Amino acid sequence: MKLISSAEHAVVKKDFGEIWNTKMARNTVITVPVILVVFLPVMYLVMIYYIPMSQMNGVDKMLQLLPQEAKNFTAKQSMFYLLTNLLCPMFFLMIPLMVSSVSAACSFVGEKERNTIETLLLTPMSVKQIFKAKVVGCIILSSISTAVSFVVFSIVISIGDIMLKMPFFLNWNWLVLVLLLAPAITIFGVIFMVIVSGKSKSYMESFQTSGFIVLPVVLLFVGQFTGLFQLSAMLLLFVSVGVFILDFILLLIGSHSFTPEKLLK
Amino acid sequence: MSAISTKNLTKTYDGKIIALKSLNLEIPQGGIFGFLGPNGAGKTTTVKLLTGLLKPTEGECRVLDLEPGKNPCEVHRLCGVMTESARMYGQLTGMENLVFFAQTSGMTQEACNQRAGELLKQLDLWDARDKKLSAYSTGMAQRLSMARALIHWPQVLFLDEPTSGLDPESAQTVNELITALAKNAGTTVFLCTHQLRYAQDLCSGYGILDKGRLLAAGDLQTLCDAIGCHIRAGFRLADGDTLEGYHAENGWWQTEVLREEEMPKLLKEIIDGGHDVFEARLIKPTLEDVYFEYTERQEAQQ
Repeated sequence: MKLISSAEHAVVKKDFGEIWNTKMARNTVITVPVILVVFLPVMYLVMIYYIPMSQMNGVDKMLQLLPQEAKNFTAKQSMFYLLTNLLCPMFFLMIPLMVSSVSAACSFVGEKERNTIETLLLTPMSVKQIFKAKVVGCIILSSISTAVSFVVFSIVISIGDIMLKMPFFLNWNWLVLVLLLAPAITIFGVIFMVIVSGKSKSYMESFQTSGFIVLPVVLLFVGQFTGLFQLSAMLLLFVSVGVFILDFILLLIGSHSFTPEKLLK
Repeated sequence: MSAISTKNLTKTYDGKIIALKSLNLEIPQGGIFGFLGPNGAGKTTTVKLLTGLLKPTEGECRVLDLEPGKNPCEVHRLCGVMTESARMYGQLTGMENLVFFAQTSGMTQEACNQRAGELLKQLDLWDARDKKLSAYSTGMAQRLSMARALIHWPQVLFLDEPTSGLDPESAQTVNELITALAKNAGTTVFLCTHQLRYAQDLCSGYGILDKGRLLAAGDLQTLCDAIGCHIRAGFRLADGDTLEGYHAENGWWQTEVLREEEMPKLLKEIIDGGHDVFEARLIKPTLEDVYFEYTERQEAQQ
């Protein structure tokens, strides 16, 4: 049995083209990952490598956040460890979240804004098929972007590890993050935008609304700097399961709100 | 089996605005049915109800014995729809747009290309096939929409103002295509328009809609008989001459006749009465006459 029909495949392909042809969406899909997985880590690495630790403020406080496994690291290694395990996961999760929401905004709201949704609803495809094709398209695009970003990120961080003579960065936290939390967040970004699309009149309006969904991710990771908690692989696993459950609930709500009458209002 | 049937079909928005009130229609298969009415009469709402984009508030409708509200996919498989608000993709070329919509109908790639090419040629768009739709003129985009509606050989074609914004040549191409479809392919065409002259040339049956209510339906003769619009015999006489029992209109002396066969007798009587007849003609009521008779009567009743 085919996962998607030829008609659904045509919609996915068409949506890819449409997202790519929308300047803002294209910029987000390219620029956001480049900044988050290349520019920021490289800047940080250069800073750690070339600036003496004595000239940096608050290093002692930051080093207190180190877990047991990193207690034997040098100051520079410790700072890089904190970058890799405390800051970069937050940067990294922004990618599936931003790419999925911007592509969904373009795919769902953009179609409504350009009055092409009515034409699509007049095809022999069912509303469910259209919904499925659009959601799948956004998830695929976001997954590709996330996967490529992770490969690039791995190269950047591995270079840092080699330069600072540190062990390979990949640990259970990163595995859970990449294999479970990122996909869960990708789905969340798409479905959230589908629900928002019912109320948004324009692509820009819906994209601005998507800014709110970044906050929980920032809070989750920045919260670690307070010293109140540290994200372990187990905790990330629970968070992932929680997001997947939320995705399922939102998917039910989203699919019910995706009706011709509501879309053509 | 009727192509389209509606029973007491009603659509209200927010329970306040009545877009369509108790529409009862029975349209047989084949032929072109002109659905006439001014802007805001409820024509587009009717098309949206018949194609399952809207759900009726009351009543029911069927297209080829299928309920659009319950089985929209099957209705869309058998019907082509062209409305003013249903746009195509600006970043795709004319050819790509048609191929995309053919693919959504489940056609193979080869069949998609062949059918798209066929329609682009028929609608004079072949030379612009590789241009992006965003670069098309209004008329070209309109013709491409028509091609899209025809891409899967529909049995019923819903056309909402298909020639608005078209130049006379393009309008003629579209009209010829519609006529050929009804005549050769047996397609039933449900044509919404407020261009009455154009409707009279194309349609075999009519429905007149005003403020969401169907004022009348049938062929032109039925509509004429129901409202009392008869053929008039007109005679142009010498200046200053008068005819008793006739009324003058734009230099013509006119009277209503029930049948065309009465004309020779009337002409003979006038000549025998000593009048000089410069011209004589039968003035048949046009769709425009009938339409305004119905709408004016409706307004007077209200």
